[in-house]
Amino acid sequence: MTKGLWTRETVALLLLAAHGPLALMWVWYGGALSRLVLALVVIGGWQLVFMLARAQAPSLAALVTALAIAMLAPQDLGVLRLSLGITFGVVMGELVFGGWGRNVVHPATVTLAFLGFGFPAFAWPGFDAPVGWAAIPAALIGCVTGVMPVGVIGGALVVGGGAALTGALPEPVLLAGGVVLVLLVADPVTSAATTPARWVNGGLYAALLVLFHSGWDGAAPVQMAVAAALLASLAAPLLDEAALALWVARRRRRHGQS
Amino acid sequence: MVRSPAWSTLTAPLVHQNPVMLQILGICSALAVTTTLATALTMSVALTVVLTLAAGVISLIRRHIPETIRLIVQIVIIASLVIVIDQVLQAWFAELSRALSVYVGLITTNCLVLGRTEAFARHNPPPRAMIDALGNGLGYSLVLCVIGALREFFGKGALLGQTVLPLASEGGWFTPLSLMLLAPSAFFLLGLMVWAVRSLLPEQAEAPQHAPPPRAEVER
Repeated sequence: MTKGLWTRETVALLLLAAHGPLALMWVWYGGALSRLVLALVVIGGWQLVFMLARAQAPSLAALVTALAIAMLAPQDLGVLRLSLGITFGVVMGELVFGGWGRNVVHPATVTLAFLGFGFPAFAWPGFDAPVGWAAIPAALIGCVTGVMPVGVIGGALVVGGGAALTGALPEPVLLAGGVVLVLLVADPVTSAATTPARWVNGGLYAALLVLFHSGWDGAAPVQMAVAAALLASLAAPLLDEAALALWVARRRRRHGQS
Repeated sequence: MVRSPAWSTLTAPLVHQNPVMLQILGICSALAVTTTLATALTMSVALTVVLTLAAGVISLIRRHIPETIRLIVQIVIIASLVIVIDQVLQAWFAELSRALSVYVGLITTNCLVLGRTEAFARHNPPPRAMIDALGNGLGYSLVLCVIGALREFFGKGALLGQTVLPLASEGGWFTPLSLMLLAPSAFFLLGLMVWAVRSLLPEQAEAPQHAPPPRAEVER
Protein backbone atom coordinates (compact mmCIF):
# COMPACT_ATOMS: atom_id res chain seq x y z
CA MET A 1 0.00 0.00 0.00
CA THR A 2 2.33 2.68 -1.20
CA LYS A 3 -0.18 5.42 -1.96
CA GLY A 4 -2.33 5.13 1.14
CA LEU A 5 -1.95 6.39 4.66
CA TRP A 6 1.27 4.52 5.43
CA THR A 7 4.16 6.61 4.25
CA ARG A 8 7.51 6.86 5.90
CA GLU A 9 6.34 9.90 7.86
CA THR A 10 3.30 8.05 9.25
CA VAL A 11 5.65 5.48 10.70
CA ALA A 12 7.86 8.23 12.11
CA LEU A 13 4.88 9.99 13.70
CA LEU A 14 3.50 6.80 15.25
CA LEU A 15 6.97 5.97 16.55
CA LEU A 16 7.10 9.41 18.08
CA ALA A 17 3.66 8.89 19.63
CA ALA A 18 4.82 5.56 21.06
CA HIS A 19 7.75 7.33 22.69
CA GLY A 20 5.32 9.87 24.18
CA PRO A 21 4.96 8.27 27.63
CA LEU A 22 8.71 7.84 27.92
CA ALA A 23 9.40 11.44 26.91
CA LEU A 24 6.74 12.79 29.28
CA MET A 25 8.06 10.88 32.27
CA TRP A 26 11.61 11.89 31.40
CA VAL A 27 10.68 15.59 31.25
CA TRP A 28 8.59 15.24 34.45
CA TYR A 29 11.55 13.79 36.34
CA GLY A 30 13.92 16.55 35.35
CA GLY A 31 15.06 15.73 31.83
CA ALA A 32 17.43 18.26 30.28
CA LEU A 33 15.26 19.95 27.65
CA SER A 34 18.20 22.07 26.52
CA ARG A 35 19.92 18.94 25.22
CA LEU A 36 16.79 17.97 23.31
CA VAL A 37 16.69 21.41 21.68
CA LEU A 38 20.39 21.25 20.82
CA ALA A 39 20.01 17.78 19.31
CA LEU A 40 17.01 18.95 17.27
CA VAL A 41 18.87 22.00 15.98
CA VAL A 42 21.96 20.01 14.97
CA ILE A 43 19.98 17.18 13.32
CA GLY A 44 17.70 19.67 11.59
CA GLY A 45 20.69 21.55 10.25
CA TRP A 46 22.25 18.42 8.76
CA GLN A 47 18.91 17.30 7.29
CA LEU A 48 18.66 20.72 5.64
CA VAL A 49 22.19 20.40 4.24
CA PHE A 50 21.47 16.96 2.79
CA MET A 51 18.11 18.10 1.42
CA LEU A 52 19.77 20.96 -0.44
CA ALA A 53 22.86 19.02 -1.51
CA ARG A 54 21.41 15.60 -2.36
CA ALA A 55 17.63 16.15 -2.46
CA GLN A 56 17.02 13.81 0.48
CA ALA A 57 13.65 14.46 2.06
CA PRO A 58 13.96 15.36 5.74
CA SER A 59 12.12 13.08 8.13
CA LEU A 60 10.23 13.53 11.38
CA ALA A 61 12.24 10.57 12.67
CA ALA A 62 14.77 13.27 13.60
CA LEU A 63 12.55 13.91 16.64
CA VAL A 64 12.90 10.29 17.75
CA THR A 65 16.67 10.39 17.25
CA ALA A 66 16.93 13.67 19.16
CA LEU A 67 14.88 12.26 22.04
CA ALA A 68 17.07 9.16 22.25
CA ILE A 69 20.27 11.23 22.22
CA ALA A 70 18.98 13.72 24.79
CA MET A 71 17.89 10.93 27.13
CA LEU A 72 20.92 8.69 26.86
CA ALA A 73 23.98 10.83 26.09
CA PRO A 74 26.68 11.24 28.78
CA GLN A 75 26.17 14.23 31.03
CA ASP A 76 27.91 17.64 31.13
CA LEU A 77 29.50 17.19 27.72
CA GLY A 78 29.06 20.80 26.68
CA VAL A 79 27.59 22.14 23.44
CA LEU A 80 30.65 21.61 21.26
CA ARG A 81 31.33 17.96 22.09
CA LEU A 82 27.65 17.02 22.01
CA SER A 83 27.24 18.70 18.61
CA LEU A 84 30.31 16.88 17.31
CA GLY A 85 28.92 13.53 18.42
CA ILE A 86 25.47 14.22 16.99
CA THR A 87 27.03 15.37 13.73
CA PHE A 88 29.05 12.20 13.41
CA GLY A 89 26.14 9.94 14.31
CA VAL A 90 23.56 11.59 12.11
CA VAL A 91 25.76 12.12 9.06
CA MET A 92 27.79 8.89 9.12
CA GLY A 93 25.06 6.75 10.63
CA GLU A 94 22.07 7.86 8.63
CA LEU A 95 22.32 10.66 6.08
CA VAL A 96 25.17 9.32 3.93
CA PHE A 97 23.16 6.15 3.40
CA GLY A 98 20.26 8.15 1.95
CA GLY A 99 18.25 9.23 4.96
CA TRP A 100 15.94 7.55 7.45
CA GLY A 101 14.79 4.15 6.20
CA ARG A 102 18.05 3.28 4.46
CA ASN A 103 20.41 3.38 7.42
CA VAL A 104 22.13 0.28 8.81
CA VAL A 105 22.51 1.43 12.41
CA HIS A 106 20.41 3.85 14.41
CA PRO A 107 21.99 7.33 14.23
CA ALA A 108 21.44 7.78 17.97
CA THR A 109 23.32 4.53 18.65
CA VAL A 110 26.25 5.75 16.56
CA THR A 111 26.21 9.10 18.35
CA LEU A 112 26.15 7.48 21.79
CA ALA A 113 28.91 5.01 20.93
CA PHE A 114 31.03 7.85 19.53
CA LEU A 115 30.52 9.97 22.64
CA GLY A 116 31.14 7.01 24.94
CA PHE A 117 34.39 5.97 23.28
CA GLY A 118 35.55 9.50 22.47
CA PHE A 119 34.96 11.05 25.91
CA PRO A 120 35.16 8.19 28.41
CA ALA A 121 35.56 10.58 31.37
CA PHE A 122 31.95 11.81 31.36
CA ALA A 123 29.29 10.12 33.49
CA TRP A 124 26.36 8.32 31.90
CA PRO A 125 22.83 9.23 33.01
CA GLY A 126 20.75 7.03 35.28
CA PHE A 127 16.97 6.68 35.25
CA ASP A 128 14.39 6.99 38.01
CA ALA A 129 12.12 3.99 38.28
CA PRO A 130 9.01 5.72 36.77
CA VAL A 131 10.97 6.71 33.65
CA GLY A 132 12.14 3.13 33.26
CA TRP A 133 8.65 1.76 33.71
CA ALA A 134 7.33 4.20 31.10
CA ALA A 135 9.13 1.99 28.58
CA ILE A 136 6.31 -0.53 29.00
CA PRO A 137 3.46 1.68 27.68
CA ALA A 138 5.83 2.92 24.98
CA ALA A 139 6.51 -0.64 23.83
CA LEU A 140 2.77 -1.46 24.02
CA ILE A 141 1.76 1.51 21.84
CA GLY A 142 4.56 0.68 19.42
CA CYS A 143 3.54 -2.97 19.12
CA VAL A 144 -0.21 -2.28 18.84
CA THR A 145 0.25 0.33 16.12
CA GLY A 146 2.74 -1.99 14.43
CA VAL A 147 5.69 0.40 14.21
CA MET A 148 7.84 -1.53 16.67
CA PRO A 149 8.74 -5.13 15.87
CA VAL A 150 6.92 -7.42 18.33
CA GLY A 151 9.56 -10.12 17.91
CA VAL A 152 12.44 -7.91 19.03
CA ILE A 153 10.63 -6.80 22.17
CA GLY A 154 9.38 -10.33 22.80
CA GLY A 155 12.82 -11.86 22.41
CA ALA A 156 14.34 -9.28 24.73
CA LEU A 157 11.56 -9.89 27.26
CA VAL A 158 12.05 -13.65 27.23
CA VAL A 159 15.82 -13.53 27.70
CA GLY A 160 15.94 -10.38 29.84
CA GLY A 161 12.96 -11.42 31.96
CA GLY A 162 14.48 -14.84 32.56
CA ALA A 163 17.76 -13.25 33.57
CA ALA A 164 15.96 -10.83 35.89
CA LEU A 165 14.07 -13.68 37.57
CA THR A 166 17.27 -15.56 38.25
CA GLY A 167 18.86 -12.39 39.58
CA ALA A 168 21.36 -11.87 36.78
CA LEU A 169 20.02 -8.38 36.00
CA PRO A 170 19.54 -5.98 38.95
CA GLU A 171 17.01 -3.15 38.76
CA PRO A 172 19.17 -0.25 37.47
CA VAL A 173 20.43 -2.35 34.56
CA LEU A 174 16.90 -3.56 33.87
CA LEU A 175 15.54 0.00 33.76
CA ALA A 176 18.31 1.28 31.49
CA GLY A 177 17.99 -1.83 29.34
CA GLY A 178 14.25 -1.30 28.95
CA VAL A 179 14.61 2.34 27.95
CA VAL A 180 17.36 1.54 25.44
CA LEU A 181 15.32 -1.39 24.11
CA VAL A 182 12.42 0.90 23.29
CA LEU A 183 14.49 3.84 22.06
CA LEU A 184 17.25 2.15 20.05
CA VAL A 185 16.81 -1.59 19.61
CA ALA A 186 13.12 -1.80 18.68
CA ASP A 187 13.63 0.57 15.80
CA PRO A 188 11.64 -0.45 12.70
CA VAL A 189 14.53 0.36 10.35
CA THR A 190 17.64 -1.06 11.95
CA SER A 191 16.30 -4.14 13.73
CA ALA A 192 15.97 -7.44 11.90
CA ALA A 193 13.24 -7.67 9.25
CA THR A 194 12.18 -11.34 9.32
CA THR A 195 10.14 -12.78 12.18
CA PRO A 196 12.55 -15.44 13.45
CA ALA A 197 15.51 -13.08 13.14
CA ARG A 198 13.60 -10.48 15.16
CA TRP A 199 13.19 -12.85 18.11
CA VAL A 200 16.87 -13.73 17.94
CA ASN A 201 17.78 -10.04 17.61
CA GLY A 202 15.89 -9.09 20.76
CA GLY A 203 17.23 -12.11 22.61
CA LEU A 204 20.76 -11.28 21.50
CA TYR A 205 20.41 -7.75 22.86
CA ALA A 206 19.27 -9.02 26.25
CA ALA A 207 21.94 -11.72 26.32
CA LEU A 208 24.66 -9.16 25.54
CA LEU A 209 23.30 -6.97 28.32
CA VAL A 210 23.58 -9.89 30.77
CA LEU A 211 27.08 -10.65 29.51
CA PHE A 212 28.23 -7.04 29.88
CA HIS A 213 26.69 -6.79 33.31
CA SER A 214 28.53 -9.85 34.52
CA GLY A 215 31.86 -9.21 32.82
CA TRP A 216 32.34 -5.48 32.23
CA ASP A 217 33.73 -3.84 35.35
CA GLY A 218 33.11 -0.16 35.90
CA ALA A 219 30.55 0.38 33.15
CA ALA A 220 27.35 2.34 33.77
CA PRO A 221 24.02 0.57 33.05
CA VAL A 222 23.23 2.89 30.10
CA GLN A 223 26.71 2.35 28.69
CA MET A 224 26.26 -1.42 28.74
CA ALA A 225 22.82 -1.12 27.17
CA VAL A 226 24.08 1.17 24.39
CA ALA A 227 26.99 -1.17 23.61
CA ALA A 228 24.59 -4.12 23.52
CA ALA A 229 22.25 -2.17 21.22
CA LEU A 230 25.11 -1.32 18.86
CA LEU A 231 26.25 -4.94 18.57
CA ALA A 232 22.68 -6.23 18.27
CA SER A 233 21.87 -3.85 15.43
CA LEU A 234 25.13 -4.72 13.66
CA ALA A 235 24.16 -8.39 13.90
CA ALA A 236 20.64 -7.80 12.54
CA PRO A 237 21.49 -8.19 8.80
CA LEU A 238 23.36 -11.42 9.57
CA LEU A 239 20.37 -12.78 11.47
CA ASP A 240 18.09 -11.87 8.56
CA GLU A 241 20.45 -13.60 6.15
CA ALA A 242 20.42 -16.72 8.32
CA ALA A 243 16.62 -16.67 8.57
CA LEU A 244 16.29 -16.35 4.78
CA ALA A 245 18.80 -19.15 4.19
CA LEU A 246 16.85 -21.39 6.57
CA TRP A 247 13.61 -20.55 4.77
CA VAL A 248 15.12 -21.32 1.38
CA ALA A 249 16.57 -24.59 2.67
CA ARG A 250 13.20 -25.63 4.08
CA ARG A 251 11.45 -24.82 0.81
CA ARG A 252 14.04 -26.77 -1.09
CA ARG A 253 13.56 -29.80 1.11
CA ARG A 254 9.81 -29.62 0.67
CA HIS A 255 9.60 -28.87 -3.05
CA GLY A 256 12.91 -30.21 -4.33
CA GLN A 257 15.47 -28.32 -6.36
CA SER A 258 14.15 -25.60 -8.61
CA MET B 1 53.63 23.21 -21.22
CA VAL B 2 54.32 19.71 -22.34
CA ARG B 3 54.71 17.35 -19.43
CA SER B 4 57.37 14.73 -19.75
CA PRO B 5 56.23 11.12 -19.26
CA ALA B 6 58.57 10.81 -16.29
CA TRP B 7 56.85 13.74 -14.58
CA SER B 8 53.39 12.27 -15.08
CA THR B 9 54.62 8.86 -13.91
CA LEU B 10 55.82 10.55 -10.75
CA THR B 11 52.78 12.73 -10.04
CA ALA B 12 49.91 10.49 -11.16
CA PRO B 13 50.01 8.31 -8.01
CA LEU B 14 49.81 11.35 -5.73
CA VAL B 15 46.08 12.00 -6.09
CA HIS B 16 44.71 10.69 -9.38
CA GLN B 17 46.05 7.14 -9.03
CA ASN B 18 46.70 7.17 -5.31
CA PRO B 19 47.55 3.61 -4.24
CA VAL B 20 45.83 3.91 -0.86
CA MET B 21 42.76 5.92 -1.75
CA LEU B 22 41.97 4.57 -5.22
CA GLN B 23 43.26 1.01 -5.05
CA ILE B 24 42.91 0.65 -1.25
CA LEU B 25 46.33 -1.02 -1.06
CA GLY B 26 48.56 -1.14 1.98
CA ILE B 27 45.98 0.15 4.45
CA CYS B 28 47.00 -2.29 7.19
CA SER B 29 50.08 -0.29 8.08
CA ALA B 30 48.35 2.96 7.13
CA LEU B 31 45.87 2.33 9.93
CA ALA B 32 48.29 0.92 12.46
CA VAL B 33 51.10 3.47 12.56
CA THR B 34 49.19 6.74 12.21
CA THR B 35 48.51 7.54 15.87
CA THR B 36 51.22 10.22 15.72
CA LEU B 37 52.70 12.19 12.87
CA ALA B 38 56.26 11.12 13.77
CA THR B 39 55.58 7.39 13.33
CA ALA B 40 53.60 8.08 10.15
CA LEU B 41 56.52 10.07 8.70
CA THR B 42 59.06 7.38 9.62
CA MET B 43 56.90 4.67 8.12
CA SER B 44 56.42 6.75 4.96
CA VAL B 45 60.15 7.26 4.51
CA ALA B 46 60.90 3.60 5.19
CA LEU B 47 58.30 2.37 2.74
CA THR B 48 59.26 4.87 0.03
CA VAL B 49 62.93 3.94 0.26
CA VAL B 50 62.23 0.21 0.23
CA LEU B 51 59.78 0.52 -2.64
CA THR B 52 62.09 2.66 -4.79
CA LEU B 53 65.17 0.49 -4.24
CA ALA B 54 63.24 -2.76 -4.70
CA ALA B 55 61.72 -1.49 -7.94
CA GLY B 56 65.19 -0.53 -9.18
CA VAL B 57 66.78 -3.88 -8.33
CA ILE B 58 63.92 -5.98 -9.67
CA SER B 59 63.78 -3.90 -12.84
CA LEU B 60 67.53 -4.38 -13.34
CA ILE B 61 67.30 -8.16 -13.25
CA ARG B 62 63.82 -8.39 -14.77
CA ARG B 63 65.03 -10.37 -17.79
CA HIS B 64 66.76 -12.92 -15.59
CA ILE B 65 64.00 -13.68 -13.09
CA PRO B 66 62.45 -17.06 -13.90
CA GLU B 67 58.72 -16.61 -14.38
CA THR B 68 57.75 -19.46 -12.08
CA ILE B 69 59.56 -18.24 -8.98
CA ARG B 70 59.27 -14.50 -9.59
CA LEU B 71 57.23 -13.83 -6.44
CA ILE B 72 59.80 -15.54 -4.25
CA VAL B 73 62.62 -13.60 -5.88
CA GLN B 74 60.76 -10.33 -5.41
CA ILE B 75 59.97 -11.06 -1.77
CA VAL B 76 63.60 -11.99 -1.08
CA ILE B 77 64.79 -8.70 -2.53
CA ILE B 78 62.16 -6.67 -0.68
CA ALA B 79 62.79 -8.50 2.59
CA SER B 80 66.55 -7.89 2.37
CA LEU B 81 65.94 -4.16 1.91
CA VAL B 82 63.42 -4.12 4.77
CA ILE B 83 65.93 -5.74 7.10
CA VAL B 84 68.51 -3.10 6.20
CA ILE B 85 66.01 -0.29 6.88
CA ASP B 86 64.91 -1.92 10.12
CA GLN B 87 68.51 -2.16 11.34
CA VAL B 88 69.13 1.47 10.41
CA LEU B 89 66.05 2.54 12.37
CA GLN B 90 67.06 0.45 15.36
CA ALA B 91 70.55 1.89 15.30
CA TRP B 92 69.76 5.59 14.98
CA PHE B 93 66.06 5.99 15.84
CA ALA B 94 65.60 3.41 18.59
CA GLU B 95 62.52 5.08 20.10
CA LEU B 96 60.66 5.41 16.81
CA SER B 97 61.64 1.87 15.94
CA ARG B 98 59.99 0.65 19.16
CA ALA B 99 56.88 2.72 18.41
CA LEU B 100 56.60 1.18 14.95
CA SER B 101 57.10 -2.33 16.41
CA VAL B 102 56.44 -5.00 13.79
CA TYR B 103 55.13 -2.72 11.09
CA VAL B 104 58.50 -1.95 9.53
CA GLY B 105 59.07 -5.67 9.16
CA LEU B 106 55.63 -6.00 7.67
CA ILE B 107 56.60 -3.73 4.77
CA THR B 108 57.80 -7.00 3.25
CA THR B 109 54.25 -8.19 2.86
CA ASN B 110 52.74 -4.78 2.14
CA CYS B 111 50.65 -5.36 -0.96
CA LEU B 112 51.52 -1.90 -2.22
CA VAL B 113 55.22 -2.83 -2.55
CA LEU B 114 54.59 -6.22 -4.09
CA GLY B 115 51.86 -4.76 -6.31
CA ARG B 116 54.15 -2.13 -7.85
CA THR B 117 57.11 -4.47 -8.35
CA GLU B 118 54.88 -7.16 -9.81
CA ALA B 119 52.79 -4.88 -12.01
CA PHE B 120 55.28 -2.21 -13.07
CA ALA B 121 58.93 -2.85 -12.26
CA ARG B 122 58.92 -6.28 -13.94
CA HIS B 123 58.04 -4.73 -17.30
CA ASN B 124 59.90 -1.41 -17.31
CA PRO B 125 63.52 -0.20 -17.36
CA PRO B 126 65.05 0.84 -14.02
CA PRO B 127 64.68 4.64 -14.31
CA ARG B 128 60.97 4.50 -15.10
CA ALA B 129 60.36 1.77 -12.53
CA MET B 130 62.08 3.79 -9.83
CA ILE B 131 60.20 6.98 -10.70
CA ASP B 132 56.91 5.10 -10.57
CA ALA B 133 57.88 3.52 -7.26
CA LEU B 134 58.89 6.89 -5.84
CA GLY B 135 55.56 8.38 -6.94
CA ASN B 136 53.60 5.57 -5.34
CA GLY B 137 55.66 5.83 -2.18
CA LEU B 138 54.95 9.56 -2.04
CA GLY B 139 51.24 8.95 -2.62
CA TYR B 140 51.20 6.50 0.27
CA SER B 141 53.20 8.96 2.38
CA LEU B 142 50.73 11.75 1.61
CA VAL B 143 47.76 9.75 2.90
CA LEU B 144 49.70 8.49 5.92
CA CYS B 145 50.88 11.96 6.92
CA VAL B 146 47.43 13.53 6.54
CA ILE B 147 45.81 10.82 8.66
CA GLY B 148 48.68 10.85 11.17
CA ALA B 149 48.53 14.64 11.51
CA LEU B 150 44.75 14.63 11.99
CA ARG B 151 44.86 11.82 14.56
CA GLU B 152 47.66 13.37 16.56
CA PHE B 153 46.12 16.86 16.37
CA PHE B 154 42.65 15.84 17.56
CA GLY B 155 43.71 12.93 19.74
CA LYS B 156 46.53 14.63 21.64
CA GLY B 157 46.28 18.30 20.71
CA ALA B 158 49.83 18.13 19.39
CA LEU B 159 51.81 17.91 16.16
CA LEU B 160 55.15 16.04 16.05
CA GLY B 161 55.07 15.98 19.85
CA GLN B 162 54.75 19.78 20.14
CA THR B 163 51.59 20.88 21.97
CA VAL B 164 49.39 22.97 19.69
CA LEU B 165 46.13 22.97 21.64
CA PRO B 166 46.63 23.25 25.42
CA LEU B 167 45.07 20.20 27.08
CA ALA B 168 42.35 20.58 29.68
CA SER B 169 44.22 18.18 31.98
CA GLU B 170 47.19 20.58 31.98
CA GLY B 171 45.29 23.82 32.48
CA GLY B 172 44.26 24.48 28.87
CA TRP B 173 40.83 24.20 27.25
CA PHE B 174 41.08 21.31 24.79
CA THR B 175 39.65 17.91 25.72
CA PRO B 176 41.31 15.37 23.44
CA LEU B 177 39.15 13.00 21.39
CA SER B 178 40.33 9.66 22.73
CA LEU B 179 38.56 7.94 19.84
CA MET B 180 41.18 9.40 17.49
CA LEU B 181 43.86 7.23 19.12
CA LEU B 182 41.89 4.03 18.50
CA ALA B 183 42.09 2.13 15.24
CA PRO B 184 38.47 2.75 14.09
CA SER B 185 39.11 6.47 13.70
CA ALA B 186 41.71 5.73 11.03
CA PHE B 187 39.03 3.84 9.10
CA PHE B 188 36.65 6.78 9.48
CA LEU B 189 39.28 9.30 8.37
CA LEU B 190 40.38 7.17 5.41
CA GLY B 191 36.74 6.71 4.40
CA LEU B 192 36.09 10.43 4.63
CA MET B 193 39.21 11.14 2.54
CA VAL B 194 38.13 8.65 -0.11
CA TRP B 195 34.67 10.22 -0.11
CA ALA B 196 36.09 13.74 -0.46
CA VAL B 197 38.48 12.79 -3.26
CA ARG B 198 35.81 10.89 -5.18
CA SER B 199 33.41 13.81 -4.84
CA LEU B 200 36.04 16.10 -6.37
CA LEU B 201 37.17 13.55 -8.99
CA PRO B 202 34.02 11.59 -9.88
CA GLU B 203 35.93 9.45 -12.41
CA GLN B 204 37.48 7.58 -9.46
CA ALA B 205 34.14 6.29 -8.22
CA GLU B 206 33.20 2.73 -9.13
CA ALA B 207 30.04 2.04 -11.09
CA PRO B 208 27.16 1.20 -8.74
CA GLN B 209 26.50 -2.52 -8.37
CA HIS B 210 22.81 -2.18 -7.60
CA ALA B 211 20.15 0.25 -8.76
CA PRO B 212 17.84 1.46 -5.98
CA PRO B 213 14.15 0.71 -6.46
CA PRO B 214 12.11 3.61 -7.85
CA ARG B 215 10.63 5.91 -5.25
CA ALA B 216 6.95 5.29 -4.68
CA GLU B 217 6.36 8.30 -2.46
CA VAL B 218 6.82 10.83 -5.22
CA GLU B 219 3.65 10.10 -7.18
CA ARG B 220 0.65 10.84 -5.01
